[in-house]
Amino acid sequence: MSTNAVVLKADVRDKWGSNQSIRLRKEGKLPAVVYGHKQTPVSIAVDAREFVTGLHHGHRLFSVDLGGKKETLLLKDVQYDYLGKEVIHADLIRVDLSERATVQVPLDFRGVPKGTTMGGIFEETLTQIEIECGVTEIPELIGVIIRELGLNEGLYAKDIELPAGVVLKTDPDALVAICHESKAAASVEAEGEEGAEAAATEPEVITERKKDEESD
Amino acid sequence: MALMPKRIKYRKHQRGTMKGNASRRNYVAFGEYGLQALEPHWITGRQIEAGRIAATHYLKREGKVHIRIFPDHSYSAKPLETRMGKGKAEVEGWVAVVKPGTVMFEIGGVDEEVAKVALLRVAHKMPIRCRFVTRRHSIG
Repeated sequence: MSTNAVVLKADVRDKWGSNQSIRLRKEGKLPAVVYGHKQTPVSIAVDAREFVTGLHHGHRLFSVDLGGKKETLLLKDVQYDYLGKEVIHADLIRVDLSERATVQVPLDFRGVPKGTTMGGIFEETLTQIEIECGVTEIPELIGVIIRELGLNEGLYAKDIELPAGVVLKTDPDALVAICHESKAAASVEAEGEEGAEAAATEPEVITERKKDEESD
Repeated sequence: MALMPKRIKYRKHQRGTMKGNASRRNYVAFGEYGLQALEPHWITGRQIEAGRIAATHYLKREGKVHIRIFPDHSYSAKPLETRMGKGKAEVEGWVAVVKPGTVMFEIGGVDEEVAKVALLRVAHKMPIRCRFVTRRHSIG
């Protein structure tokens, strides 16, 4: 991630509600909220295009001019529409550049595990981890080399090499990835066969059984 | 054969509506790639099963297929040449109610190109327009 904060133009919103938010989005603006540092939350509207461009470039730190006061904000949450295409709202938290923050960072698995050549399946059980680091040093991705992962071997959170100054917050014994034997496909097919057997009968109706008991 | 619940409280359901978009189950949660519905529809147990078979046969025991929908809604239909009335008809089948945005199938443990082809095959078994989606990492 770039250490420079993306400068955003923002207007303080004085009208709230879904209708106002829809109107803002039609004007090319994005409704957002700023909170943190024990100050009152402020509803703002930022330029949607600038924000989304920054987001796609992996930026999480934004500099916003709020009522003549420049504030450094860290992206806390992003809401998407029902298809997951458009950003519809953002949560921004006030931070100091010297502060440390706890954030979720995605993992980037690199290489082909040794176990897959022996008929294993590589499965990611954790795709992102929680770390604590300086707000200007938040990595965009954490690379995990998985070449040495053999058959029936697991990779744990404690095994991930973190950049300098970054502290792991996820449980160190949490399983991140595993290379197991190809049982999944077999079990799915077995499930399918079981399902076929089950499908021959009708579902058990709980309330009907009670009626029979009452009549007896 | 088709999926259906094992135990139910009431056998027959009212048809219900499918208005609105998916507010839950609208992101890739278990695999890396998913098949997202773009239209509201009833997906029958047979269609889900056909999709599962299409994906698993293409993947040839590689990767993992996750089915995110389950046919827990029954529908009834009167037999042919039957007069109206005489009460609600017998259960004809079971469906999953799908709204736009619902991620129906997910695949993990394979390359994007392989997942795309596998999910395209699944999409052909579906009665609706679908879209290929990838996992999005959460922020914060």
